[in-house]
Amino acid sequence: MAAINFRRSWWKRFLVFLAILGPGIITGSVDNDAGGITTYSVAGATYGYQLIWTLIPAFIVLIVIQEMNARMGIVTGKGLADLIRENAGVKVTFFIFVGLLIADIGNTTTEFAGVAGSMEIFGITKYLSVPLAAFMVWILVVKGSYTIAERIFLIFSVSLLVYIVSALLGKPQWSEIGHSITHPGMDMNTKSIAMVIGVIGTTIAPWMQFYMQSAVIEKGLKIKDYGYTLLDIVIGCIATVVVAFFIIIACASTLHVKGIAINEAKDAALALEPLAGKLAQSLFAFGLFIASIFSATILPIATAFYVCEAFGFEAGIDKKWKEAPEFYFLYTLIIILAVIIILMPNAPLIGISIWSQVLNGMLLPVVLICMMLLVNNKKIMGEHVNKPLNNFIGWTAVVVLIALSLMLLVFPLFT
Amino acid sequence: MTSQTTFYFSQFAGRKFFDSTGEVLGKISDFLIDVRAWTLESHEPQRPRVIAISVKQGKELKFFEFQNFGIRKYKGKLRLICQELKELNTANLQNCIWLKENILDKQIVDLEGRKLVRVNDIRLVMIPSGTYALAVDVGIEGLLRRLGVLTPISTFFESFGVDLPSRMILWDDIEAVDFSNSSIKLSKAQSKLHTLHPSDLADIIEDLDKASRAYVFSTLDEEKAADVLEELEPEVQAHIVESLPVGKVADVLEKMPADEVADIMDELGVKKAEELLNEMEDDSSREVRELLEYADKVVGSIMSTDYMTFSPDLTVEETFKALREEKPEPSYIYSIFVVDKKDKLISSISLGELAISDPALTLGRIMKRNPVTVFDDDDIDSLAEIVSKYNLLAVPVINRSQEMEGVVVIEDIVEDLLDKRKTK
Repeated sequence: MAAINFRRSWWKRFLVFLAILGPGIITGSVDNDAGGITTYSVAGATYGYQLIWTLIPAFIVLIVIQEMNARMGIVTGKGLADLIRENAGVKVTFFIFVGLLIADIGNTTTEFAGVAGSMEIFGITKYLSVPLAAFMVWILVVKGSYTIAERIFLIFSVSLLVYIVSALLGKPQWSEIGHSITHPGMDMNTKSIAMVIGVIGTTIAPWMQFYMQSAVIEKGLKIKDYGYTLLDIVIGCIATVVVAFFIIIACASTLHVKGIAINEAKDAALALEPLAGKLAQSLFAFGLFIASIFSATILPIATAFYVCEAFGFEAGIDKKWKEAPEFYFLYTLIIILAVIIILMPNAPLIGISIWSQVLNGMLLPVVLICMMLLVNNKKIMGEHVNKPLNNFIGWTAVVVLIALSLMLLVFPLFT
Repeated sequence: MTSQTTFYFSQFAGRKFFDSTGEVLGKISDFLIDVRAWTLESHEPQRPRVIAISVKQGKELKFFEFQNFGIRKYKGKLRLICQELKELNTANLQNCIWLKENILDKQIVDLEGRKLVRVNDIRLVMIPSGTYALAVDVGIEGLLRRLGVLTPISTFFESFGVDLPSRMILWDDIEAVDFSNSSIKLSKAQSKLHTLHPSDLADIIEDLDKASRAYVFSTLDEEKAADVLEELEPEVQAHIVESLPVGKVADVLEKMPADEVADIMDELGVKKAEELLNEMEDDSSREVRELLEYADKVVGSIMSTDYMTFSPDLTVEETFKALREEKPEPSYIYSIFVVDKKDKLISSISLGELAISDPALTLGRIMKRNPVTVFDDDDIDSLAEIVSKYNLLAVPVINRSQEMEGVVVIEDIVEDLLDKRKTK
C-alpha cells in the first residue's frame, strides 16, 4: 500500500499551530486596554512596588477562567451567550446582556479616551484623533477583513512589550520588587483595598469570557487541540501579567519615588519625561495608543456579536448589512456613542471609567456563576465537566471575586 | 367555553395548573408534541399535536396525557385545567419532541429563510379535536412577552402609530435541530431538512454547534450528505468526518469527487485518513491516494479525476448518446476529451462546440488539434490566467508523457482564488 504523502508540510503545520495560538494571546492583550493601563499606572504611582504581588492571584484566576471558556467552546461549539440563553432563560439573559451593553459602551469610551490621551502626548488634538480612529475601526470591520486586522493586532500586541523598555529606563529597584512579591502586604484602608480590587478587576472583565469562547469556536478548535489551546492561554495570561508588571514598575520607580500623583494613563506618560527621558515617555504613550485602538476594535464588535447571539439576531462580519441589520446597528451605535461622549467638552471621563468598572464588577459574579453551572452540567459538557480541582479553584475564584466586587461597591459608600 | 383558544407557550410554562374546582395541582414544566403528523403526505397542513405535559408536583417531575386538559379564562388570564390526571405511558414515545427542551430558546432551522433562528415563544391552538403547535415566534414581540413587558411597550408604540414587528414562522417551515440536551432523536424520514439546497444546508450546518452538526448530517441520505459535505468549510468537514462512524463516512466519501475527498483527507490526521481510505472501495480510494501525492501548490492537487474521454472515430451523435446514458454531473462535461489508443490527449471539445456541430460528423473531423493543456506539476496560480485568456470552463491536465491525468474546472479555480483572497 502506498504511503500517504500529505500535502501539508511542516510549514503549514506550524501555521496551524500559530492559528490555534491566538484566542488566548489576543484576549490577554486586549486585557491590557486603556482602562487596565490606567489602573496599573495609578497603582504604581500611588503605592510603588507594594501591590505588585496582586498580579499573582490575578494571573491564576485569569488562567482558570479562560481555560473553562476554552473547554466549553471546544466541547460544545456554542458561544457563552448561546449557552446562557438556552439554559438560563430569557430574564437572566436580558439582565446580563443589557448590563454588558451599557458597561461596554462605557469601556469603549475609555478606550477612545486612551486614543485621545496618547495622541495628545504626540501633539495631536482629540478632535482629530478620536473621529479618525473611530472611522478607521468602523471601516475595518464593515468593509475590510477582520481576519487581517486580528493578525495585525497580534503583531502589535508584541509592541506592548515597549513597557519593559519604558520601565527599565526608570532604573527600578529590583531588590524592593523581590521583597514585595515574597512579602505580600497592603495598607488596610479603603483606598488601598479599592486599588487591589481595581488591579484584579481590570484583569478579568466579563466581556472577555464571551470573546474568548467565541474566538475558540471561530478557530474551529477540537479537543485534540486542547493542549495547544492551554499553552496559548498560559502565554496570553503571562503576556498580560508581564505587561502589567512593567507598567506598575515604570510608574513606581519614577512617579512614586518623586511623590507625583496621577489620575490617568496620560498623566503617567507626561510625568515620565523629566524622570526617565523623552524616549520612555514616547514608548509609554505608543503602548497606550496601541492597546486602546486594539481594544476599541475588538470590544464593540464582540459586544454587538454576543448581544445578537443571545437574542437570536443574525450576527457576524461575514454577513452583509441587510442580512444582519441589528448587528451592524448595535456595532455602529456603540462606536458613535463612545465618540460623542469623548468629544463632549468637560466629559466626566474618569467617572465613566469608574462606573463602567463598577458595572463590570456587578456583572462578573453573575457571568461566572452561569459559567460554573454550565461547565459542570453533564448534559452540556459530557465527560469534560470540571474536575474537583477545577471546581475548587473555580469556586474559590468566584467567591473571592464576588467578595472583591461587593467591597468595590460598598466601600465608596463609606468614603 | 369557546371552541377555539389560541395561546402562547410562555403563558403556561412555569405557571400553576388547577383541577376543575380551582385547586392547585402542580406547576407546568413542558409540553410534549407528536411530530409525526406534519410529515405525512397530505395537502392539508398538518400540525403537531400536544400529547403530553410534564409537571412538577412538589419536587417530583411527572408526565400526564394531555387529552384531559382544558383552558379556561380566569380574571383575564388563561388557566390550564385538568379534569382527570392520567399518567403517561412513557414506553412508546417515538418521534415526539419537548417544546421547552428542544424548541424554546433553541436555534431552529427556518426552511423558508434558509437560516438559523432562535425561538422566543411558541404559538398553539386548542380546538375540540386536540391542541396543536401552530408557529414559532422569533421576533421582538416574543422576547418582550417572555420578559412580561409586551403590553406596556406595545401600547406605548401604538400611541405613536407604530406596530412592533412580529415574526412568526409556521410549523411547516421549521425544523428542530438542537437535541444536545436530550436523548430524543427523530428518524430520518421525519426531517424536512432534505428539502434545502446543499449549499444552504452547508451554511446552516457551519453555524450550528458540534452536536447538532453531527445530528443534522446523520439525517441526510448518502447522496445529499455527499453534496453537503463538499460545500462545507474544511474544518467543519473534518469535524463531521471525525464525529461520525467510519463506515458511514466512507460510504458518503465514495459518492464525492476524488479531489474533494483528497482535500478532506488533508484536514484529517494521517491515522484517521488511512482508516477511511481502507474502508472505502478500492477504486475510489486509489484515486484519492494518487491525488494526495501532489504537492500543495501544483495543479494536480486541485484537479478532478472525473472526466470523460472519447475516441476520434465516434460521431457527434454517438457521443451525445453515450453522455445521455452515463448521466455525468454537469461539471464533469464542460468539455469532453478526445484521446488516442495510448490515452494521449489529442483534443478538447467544449459541450457548446459539440452541440452546434453536425451530428453525423466524427469527433476527429470537428476537433482542433493541440488543445490548451496544463501539466499536473504546474503552479496553480497559472490556471486563472489560462482560463481567462482562452475562455475555458475546463482545462485538461496532462503529465510529462502527455497522458491525461485529470481536468481542472472553473469552479475549482474560482474557489482557489477566493481562498487565497481570504487568507491574504
